Amino acid sequence: MIMKSVKIFALAAPLAFAALAPASAQETKGQFSKELIEKGRYLATASDCVACHTNHAGGKPMAGGLPMSSPVGTIISTNITPSKEFGIGNYTEAQFADAVRKGIRGDGANLYPAMPYVSYSNMTDEDIHALYAYFTQGVQPVEEKAPETSLPFPMNIRASMMGWNMLFRPNETHKDDPAQSAEWNRGKYLAEGAAHCSTCHTPRGVFMQEQKDLNLTGGQIGPWFAPDITNDKVHGIGSWTQEDLVTYLKTGRLDHRAQAAGSMAEAISYSFQHLTDTDLNAIATYVRSIPNPSASKASAPTRFDQGKAGNDLSGFRGKDYADGIKADHAGSALYTANCASCHGYNAQGTADGYYPSLFHNAATAGDNATNVIAAILYGVDRHTKDGHVFMPPFGDQPNTVNALTNVEVASLSNYILKDYGNAKLAVTPEDVQLIRDGGPSSQLVLFARIGMGVGAAAALIVLCAAVWLFRRKRSQTQTAA
Amino acid sequence: MVTKTSADVVIVGTGVVGVVIAEQMLDAGHSVLMIEAGPRVSRAEVVENWRNSPLGVKGDTSVAYPSRPWAPHPMGGEKPEDAYLQFSGPDAYDQTFIRYAGGSTWHWAGTSWRLTPEDMRINSLYGVGRDWAFDYETLEPYYVRTEHKLGICGPADRTQQWPQTGTRSAPYPMPALPFSPGEVKFTEVVKTLGYNNIPVAQARNSGMPYDGRPACCGNNNCVPVCPVAAKYDAETALHRLEKKGATLLVDSVVYKVETSAQNKIEAVHFYDQHKQSHRISGKLFVLACNGLENPKLLLMSTDDRNPNGIANSSDQVGRNMMDHPARSFTVTTKEPFWSGIGPVVNSGIMETSQGSFRSEHAGAYFRYNNFARNRFVTFAALKKGLVGKALDEEIRRMTACTADIVAAHEILADPNNRLTLSDKKDWLGLPKPSIHYDVGDYVRKCWEVYSQPIGKQIAEAMGATDIKISPKFNNSKHIMGGTIMGKDASNSVVDVDCRAHDHENLFIPGGGAMAAGACGNSTITMVALALKAGDAMVDQMRGA
Repeated sequence: MIMKSVKIFALAAPLAFAALAPASAQETKGQFSKELIEKGRYLATASDCVACHTNHAGGKPMAGGLPMSSPVGTIISTNITPSKEFGIGNYTEAQFADAVRKGIRGDGANLYPAMPYVSYSNMTDEDIHALYAYFTQGVQPVEEKAPETSLPFPMNIRASMMGWNMLFRPNETHKDDPAQSAEWNRGKYLAEGAAHCSTCHTPRGVFMQEQKDLNLTGGQIGPWFAPDITNDKVHGIGSWTQEDLVTYLKTGRLDHRAQAAGSMAEAISYSFQHLTDTDLNAIATYVRSIPNPSASKASAPTRFDQGKAGNDLSGFRGKDYADGIKADHAGSALYTANCASCHGYNAQGTADGYYPSLFHNAATAGDNATNVIAAILYGVDRHTKDGHVFMPPFGDQPNTVNALTNVEVASLSNYILKDYGNAKLAVTPEDVQLIRDGGPSSQLVLFARIGMGVGAAAALIVLCAAVWLFRRKRSQTQTAA
Repeated sequence: MVTKTSADVVIVGTGVVGVVIAEQMLDAGHSVLMIEAGPRVSRAEVVENWRNSPLGVKGDTSVAYPSRPWAPHPMGGEKPEDAYLQFSGPDAYDQTFIRYAGGSTWHWAGTSWRLTPEDMRINSLYGVGRDWAFDYETLEPYYVRTEHKLGICGPADRTQQWPQTGTRSAPYPMPALPFSPGEVKFTEVVKTLGYNNIPVAQARNSGMPYDGRPACCGNNNCVPVCPVAAKYDAETALHRLEKKGATLLVDSVVYKVETSAQNKIEAVHFYDQHKQSHRISGKLFVLACNGLENPKLLLMSTDDRNPNGIANSSDQVGRNMMDHPARSFTVTTKEPFWSGIGPVVNSGIMETSQGSFRSEHAGAYFRYNNFARNRFVTFAALKKGLVGKALDEEIRRMTACTADIVAAHEILADPNNRLTLSDKKDWLGLPKPSIHYDVGDYVRKCWEVYSQPIGKQIAEAMGATDIKISPKFNNSKHIMGGTIMGKDASNSVVDVDCRAHDHENLFIPGGGAMAAGACGNSTITMVALALKAGDAMVDQMRGA
């Protein structure tokens, strides 16, 4: 009987909201100025809402439906257009604010932290107001239901996020630091808030919370590694000028040294390139002020200056392909067969940098080989004002140029690392399988299973948090379709 | 339900015609099984096969595609008596094609000229050859679909598009590629003679990715293979088709088409590479295994109901073999032209293919080959006995200051140009194709009075110090006519939807159906016919 009551209440509550909300929403209609809506549009761009809340394979903007896989199941983004039936058209401003900053849905249920509300929690009331104006009047309503997210037990209990939120969700909006410049404060507000840099670039603790003492020192995000972007000269981007970082954020690349792929390519395509120079400079000013607590000696090589031009062609050119591919030169034979047509026979790239060199390139000389493997398996896809940058994938996608095996990707990666990148690293076929599967997840699943075994509430926290980390780990067929 | 022995739609061949139909049928919800005679190889292997070949044989596209014993295709350097293709008649029909998964678009240049309305009514207008069974306006929507399906780039300026007559109902999905320095110069030169050298419509991603494939990065080895799949080839579709549920059998050589008592197609039979025979049944059948292999297979498949072969009550199977007979002018110039930046074929003069003269002789299409010249000129430089810096300089000079101009001619459908089964057998014991071929007076007269004079005129305007003209007509590898289309079942093989007149569930789309081929490369028309056949097949399945 009690169960039934709960169910009835659960059904009744949203209905009650539905009955009340239209009136309040209608009251606000027409009172938002064009300027306010435009400000909201800009903030929505800075927050990159469209990246996740749009199914880029033919879906309508902000109508949701993008599947994002996580170690505990696929989360599908929701319709956040002002459709009253399928979107958030009935939300009051208070409900909207709670969804964005606290991760609490209009009906009171908790959002999964695939939504980066921990970052958005710093947004001022004024900016929330502008965003609300935009999502109420600036977005075309789409009268389509996004598919429901249906995670297995115990992840389907959204209330499990309450404990996690108590522990890890900031509850204060941004306050200027009077000791810092206005530009720095603006940069901090954007970088820690709307642009949510730390969501990917800050390593996670045991409960998948951001380890703020290691802010921006690098983190795994699905199959990609979001590198250290502190001002450390060796591990971070301390060797970059202010202009370098702004150029990167505007175009998704910095000459041959760095190229945005994976989630960062989306962030560039949908968000950063559309921000004002003033805001990009503010973000750069703030990010360039963040130190790595374990600062390294300035003399060590960075991920931007390793490797050199060269080739191994004399080892196999003229031999039968099948022989070349089996022998010691397998990696370089794979390189010339699959990569050299664009990146050059000496891996030198092109003069304009559209095809980057593979040496002096952050992707091949990081502290781990994740991004070498991911670039091979998933390619690069980035839209900027300069055009559509596209490296085709070599995984198992429908549009793969060549579905390379794990052994081949490992062999190719090791050749690239040895000759052009961080020669200290080595890749195994198992490493490749891990990235092919969408990135490291086994540890999380293990934690969760142990937690479930003892019936601890911590299990739920870990499971839920796992979703966060894998925010953009899309199902690859989706991406390639 | 698709199994390894049966499917709704059974397609013999995995080239562009087969994969386009396969995708249509899969998208319509039907099961598809494709049978490929040859192997399936990676792009990487083809690229390296070519790069590992010595310079002297690189001009032969087949070096990148060594044939398998069970699926022979023409290979360079074969002795005539051992060659896969056997010839009789005054001219050789020495085509190159590939029996590999993905078919011969692996090594096409990507050139995609539409036919003109006049090309399709050549008999009505000029009293020669055969008219198509329908007009250009019927084909036009299928050309548009082809241009979008394959990703064909071309000019947005109507005055630069081909054809100038007839409708163009949609723009190209991508802009034309820029000209190389040599093409820019060539265009200026021919302009002084009154000719327009226009951008080739080509199945190549120009400055942008398309359909999940990258932009052209100008490797200039479109032939024999695009190393990055920026040029459309049918191999790029195979993985996608499999993800959509297609079954692909490779190294499986279909040798017999089986009919039922109602003379419908019941099954096809194939040998695997161990010479074991297998049977595949289905509802609809498509033969899309090349313009020579299709008629060969039909002629091989005789039974009591079809004593002259499948689909051959008209006796037209294997007849009317066409191509675009080509002559080349290798020109040495005073001033450098520099070919080789961008794709290998990037522009052409098409207007010389049209005119009232077609009642007397063929038209011709002139193109400036944009292959980088160094690999063609190196041997001549070596023969001069030069070494060291002098050799480098001579190679550089000749790379800049030589060019190839090609005149491709229109040939008429002639039933005497005929494929039959040779007495000679291949590795599996199947008969080799034998082709009797004569380019004919219509082409020869064009060469004498029209295309050779124009070619010489162009060469002179280019400032030629030397002109070498190919001594005979070369083949363009555009195989057409062997299963010709017509409304009259007594003198044609297939109907307007490429359905065999004799068998309601057999489709033979592609170049074989073309009743007239004009001068432009045939692939875009083959694909347009495939899409039209696919529509008919979807309708037919709905009714079934």
